[in-house]
Amino acid sequence: MQKDVVEQVLKHPKYEALVKGRTRASMIFFGLTLAIYAGFILTMAYLPDVFARPLGPNWTMSVGLFVGLMVVCSAVILIALYVYFSNKWFDPLLDEIVRDVE
Amino acid sequence: MNKINKWLTALLPLLAAPAAFAETGEGANTEAIIMFLLFIAGTMAITWWAARKTQTTSDFYTAGGGITGFQNGLAIAGDYISAASFLGIAGMVYVSGYYGVIYAIGFLFGWPVVMFLVAERLRNLGRYNFADVTAFRLEQTPVRILAASASLLIIALYLIAQMVGAGKLIVLLFGIEYKFAVVIIGALMMIYVFFGGMTATTWVQIIKAVLMLTGGTLLSGLVLYAFNFSPDAMLAEAVTVHPYAEELMSPGDAVTSSPLNALSLGIALAFGTAGLPHILMRFFTVWSAKEARKSVIWASSFIGYFYVLTFIIGFGAIALLVRHPEFFHQGIDGSFNMLTDLIGGTNMAAVHLSNAVGGSLLLGFLAAVTFATIVAVVAGLALAGAASISHDLYASVIAKGRATEKQQMRISKISILVLGVLSILLGIIFEHQNVAFMVGLAFAIAASANFPVLVLSISWRGCTTRGAVIGGFIGLLVATVWVVLSKTVWVDVLGNAEPIIPFPNPGIVSIPLAFIAIWFFSITDKTARAERERNAFDALTVRSQTGIGRTGAVAH
Repeated sequence: MQKDVVEQVLKHPKYEALVKGRTRASMIFFGLTLAIYAGFILTMAYLPDVFARPLGPNWTMSVGLFVGLMVVCSAVILIALYVYFSNKWFDPLLDEIVRDVE
Repeated sequence: MNKINKWLTALLPLLAAPAAFAETGEGANTEAIIMFLLFIAGTMAITWWAARKTQTTSDFYTAGGGITGFQNGLAIAGDYISAASFLGIAGMVYVSGYYGVIYAIGFLFGWPVVMFLVAERLRNLGRYNFADVTAFRLEQTPVRILAASASLLIIALYLIAQMVGAGKLIVLLFGIEYKFAVVIIGALMMIYVFFGGMTATTWVQIIKAVLMLTGGTLLSGLVLYAFNFSPDAMLAEAVTVHPYAEELMSPGDAVTSSPLNALSLGIALAFGTAGLPHILMRFFTVWSAKEARKSVIWASSFIGYFYVLTFIIGFGAIALLVRHPEFFHQGIDGSFNMLTDLIGGTNMAAVHLSNAVGGSLLLGFLAAVTFATIVAVVAGLALAGAASISHDLYASVIAKGRATEKQQMRISKISILVLGVLSILLGIIFEHQNVAFMVGLAFAIAASANFPVLVLSISWRGCTTRGAVIGGFIGLLVATVWVVLSKTVWVDVLGNAEPIIPFPNPGIVSIPLAFIAIWFFSITDKTARAERERNAFDALTVRSQTGIGRTGAVAH
């Protein structure tokens, strides 16, 4: 890649907003992912009794199994939200930069 | 592709089929076998079609970049829902209930990590494999040697899991010997890759992902139907018949006896995906970062859905298989142990279940799809391995960038032959390992070597070649030595009495160690090269954020 293209992009008024916004978004989402996952793994490893309880009277399904299913759903939902924000906020910024530079 | 190649493609399965039939024993099942051969014929047709389209190196490794996000999502799901995930997790749930669920969740959580930390930037920076990305501003030779060493080790472990899964399946279905089964798989894989390259493996993978999702849905539907669509009734029955009883519903002994091991496994599973060479390679088959993003959302949705099905299948197998003594090796009095006597081993729980609820037609369908998926996963692994050898080791390190495309392709094809033979040998040696467990180890190494280097090289300005290479090798070495000294190899393979390391999963030690080492050896690197590399970070960020100037993935 030519050096002047890099300079041009770096100087573009929208570039910093794009990089900052995206970095912040991915950090927030990554933080949420870690929080959910770490919460799950730590509970499982150190408070297994919490997960072993049945979901309610007359239930066989345990709290752990139910939480596990919710955790599976949460991973997909987090990714879907990220895609939504990327499409809505970051792609228009990116398109503008690419159009101005090329 | 020349004529002889085409002839070979057409002939080889024909050579294998009668041999398989000839040895067909009691375990064989006509509908299943017919279904099976139909699948193999179908995938061969795809390979033949793809072979005509595969001309350049880019076609061979990344299908020319012409795959859409949706298709790629399916292909990734196909790679992921393999022997390891489907047979292995269903088998683990069958043996220990909730413990299998932990694996599934770990595997799935690799996807948010991939999405938020690497996917889009990876696509913008690389061309054929993830080593291109680390080599973007770091020095080619050392980082590619690191990437290739780690990748080949991961691929070897992953190959073992797939070969064992597929081998057992063939044994069960055709009643032939395990060794012979493994040879057939190796041979089929080599044909796919040799002639069809990435185009063939991707399409085979896409089609099978669809069939696998359909088959899995059908199977879980039939299982739930047996319990009037009440999952809880199914679980209640499972708890009643399983020797672990209520323990099935809780993390259980495997976790409580060593919480550190469980934690370590959890960390490795979540961060391993972002370091798996054959999965990362799939991001170069799409056109742009936006398509890479779409790939992840589709892949994770399919994978998440399929794992939920796998839980149903695993618990369903517990509840239903005991009603079928014919699936077990029985004692003289007709008694059997549901955990140790299952024909073909517990990895086959899902396959037996399909026979139990859907008869031999569903068995044939599911077995054929599973088998074909495994062969395609093995093919994808071999491709990633060949890319490491020819693109990283040969073209960049040995030939110093002077290799022609033709030479690279020749090296690739030789590598595939070698990997094929190697996978057959490994498959035979590790016959009795649980396949999900082997994959867990591959994830640990990916998370300890590839993942830290990849993430820091694209997101931290201070990262230098010295830091990345030393840190990456420390992660790789610690993880590998750990596994060798733990029960898995030290006791189970080498036959020693006691393991030297207390628990088998290295992630909790090796991953942080790799990150710290990269950080430390980077900040203490005062050379001019390190300064140059830090200054190149702006160019890397511009490319990774905007995609301006990216190479590869252009239609030829």
